[in-house]
Amino acid sequence: MPVVETAALTQRFGATVALDELDLTIPNGVTGLVGANGAGKTTFLYAVLGLRSPTSGSVEVLGLDPMTQGQQLRALVGFGPERNVLPDEMRAVDFVRHLAEVRGLPRKESRTRASDALWLVGLGEERLRALGTMSTGQRQRVKLAQAIASDPSLVLLDEPTDGLDPVQRTEMLALIRQVSTEFGTDIIVSSHILEEVEQVCDYVVAIDAGRLVASGALSDLVGDRGGLSLELGDDIEGSETIGVVQAALRATGLDVRRDGVRLVVEGADHDELCQRVRDAVAEAGAGLRRLDSRRSSLEDLFEDHSTAGAAL
Amino acid sequence: MSDTTEVGGAGTDEARILGRGYRPYEGTRAGPVGAVSSVAWHSFRLALGMGRPARHKILPVVTATLSFLPAVVFAGLILLVSDLVTGDIGLLIEYHEYYGFSGFAVVLFCGLVVPDVLVADRRTGMLGLYLSTPLKRWSYLVAKAQAVMNALVIVTIAPLLVLLLAYTFSGEGPDGFDGWVITAGRIGLAGLAYATVFTSVGMAVASLTDRRAIASVGVIGLIIGSSVVTGMLVEVAEMSANFYVLNLLSMPFAMVAVIFGEPNGPPELSALLVVLANVAWAVAGGILIWWRYRRLAAKL
Repeated sequence: MPVVETAALTQRFGATVALDELDLTIPNGVTGLVGANGAGKTTFLYAVLGLRSPTSGSVEVLGLDPMTQGQQLRALVGFGPERNVLPDEMRAVDFVRHLAEVRGLPRKESRTRASDALWLVGLGEERLRALGTMSTGQRQRVKLAQAIASDPSLVLLDEPTDGLDPVQRTEMLALIRQVSTEFGTDIIVSSHILEEVEQVCDYVVAIDAGRLVASGALSDLVGDRGGLSLELGDDIEGSETIGVVQAALRATGLDVRRDGVRLVVEGADHDELCQRVRDAVAEAGAGLRRLDSRRSSLEDLFEDHSTAGAAL
Repeated sequence: MSDTTEVGGAGTDEARILGRGYRPYEGTRAGPVGAVSSVAWHSFRLALGMGRPARHKILPVVTATLSFLPAVVFAGLILLVSDLVTGDIGLLIEYHEYYGFSGFAVVLFCGLVVPDVLVADRRTGMLGLYLSTPLKRWSYLVAKAQAVMNALVIVTIAPLLVLLLAYTFSGEGPDGFDGWVITAGRIGLAGLAYATVFTSVGMAVASLTDRRAIASVGVIGLIIGSSVVTGMLVEVAEMSANFYVLNLLSMPFAMVAVIFGEPNGPPELSALLVVLANVAWAVAGGILIWWRYRRLAAKL
């Protein structure tokens, strides 16, 4: 059973289209919901939680309709919001216990699991501290702890690394991965930072201005695109090396284009391309600073989408 | 949730490793009713400053103390010097008259304690987090109303029960077991009626702003202001006494008199009018709260 399935999901606010006929299926595992700020990520989370009726289309989460079976669904979902919603005076353990209780766990079980969840996220020693005295990194961990304390089937995390430094970010991503792999919890991580989605997710949903840019397994969307990317050494004897090499490669019938200081050579046969590039660079008397297989990133997806949009 | 693993070996027969860790939960879940109950209890504690720093306990404790003070004084007098109270001097007060002594403390409690129950969730964004759980807007509001009611009955019912016990132990209590039960029932009903109107009004005003101080001033101002305005309309402008139905300070008080079968004036209004006025205030407050929360977009 897919975690989330939508069909022509559309959400309008007056003239603004926040979600535009989204058709997607999110499978089990960690899914990254990526897009710039204002792309519609939070609106999508609203729809998943059943907090707002879609203008048209449908959404099904864990086999339930969020609008008609919202209460039943939300008991199975843990949510870590982007906003800082932590009451400053409450102790971390009281906050996590309270939310676990609200999500349906018995009082005694909530107390135990609140402590366990805080230990899991590395705040065991800090669990009795008031939330207002905690650092941003600790507060983000508390938000993760409250989302998982009730042992939900699905966890929605809205920008969980917001405000974290690189080390804290890496630790948070590792925790998210751990929760999914060790406890079998499905997780949807909303983020505008593409690198962290590539780092932690199995599946990606990329949206831009409410439209679906791409969705699929990370391994299908990101990886070897075929072709080579090369960066040359300094210009020699007053000639522009990059232009000379580009011309030489084109002369051999290759599809070559410039991308800033790099040349991008299209082609499927990796070994053959390498040899021809080597020969062309040598003939031009240039130095080769860097030679890579072309890999696509999530950023490329958005760039391709923008280019396609501009072409229309 | 904790595992116990025995470790063998000489000298370690009694050793245990207490393995703690996050585990899947396979027990039952309470559902929306449990969620309401949990939020109500949490909010009740919040209102009274429980589990919060000392500064949050000051207002509830001071205002609750003020509401109990007359009961404690009367109870002390009747138990220690009952002749002074019940004799010719006759300081013994009727139950329904008690709110004449504690009414302002109840207004202060309502104004200073109630708003935080609603305002804090909107200000911090906890409302959005609550709505991501099995709670819906209406069940969230039910939980909050229950918390406010529970807090208010401390100052509307408990002092009268203190008085009832003092009268009972001094031999001035209701006649017979039946009389005692009826009086206790009236005290409960009167306290609930009082608390219902103030819950509705307090929450309605608190739903209009995200600032607790403004909500507090609004609640107290509305209750006191309605009394001043209706007093001027009736006493100065010599308009109909029925305008007193708009008096939020005296209407719950008149309702208590009706419940105890006592005159509710002056000016005396019909019992039906008093009941309808209190119901109207409670319903109007409820409608305003619902209207506000239906419009309010929960920010996640």
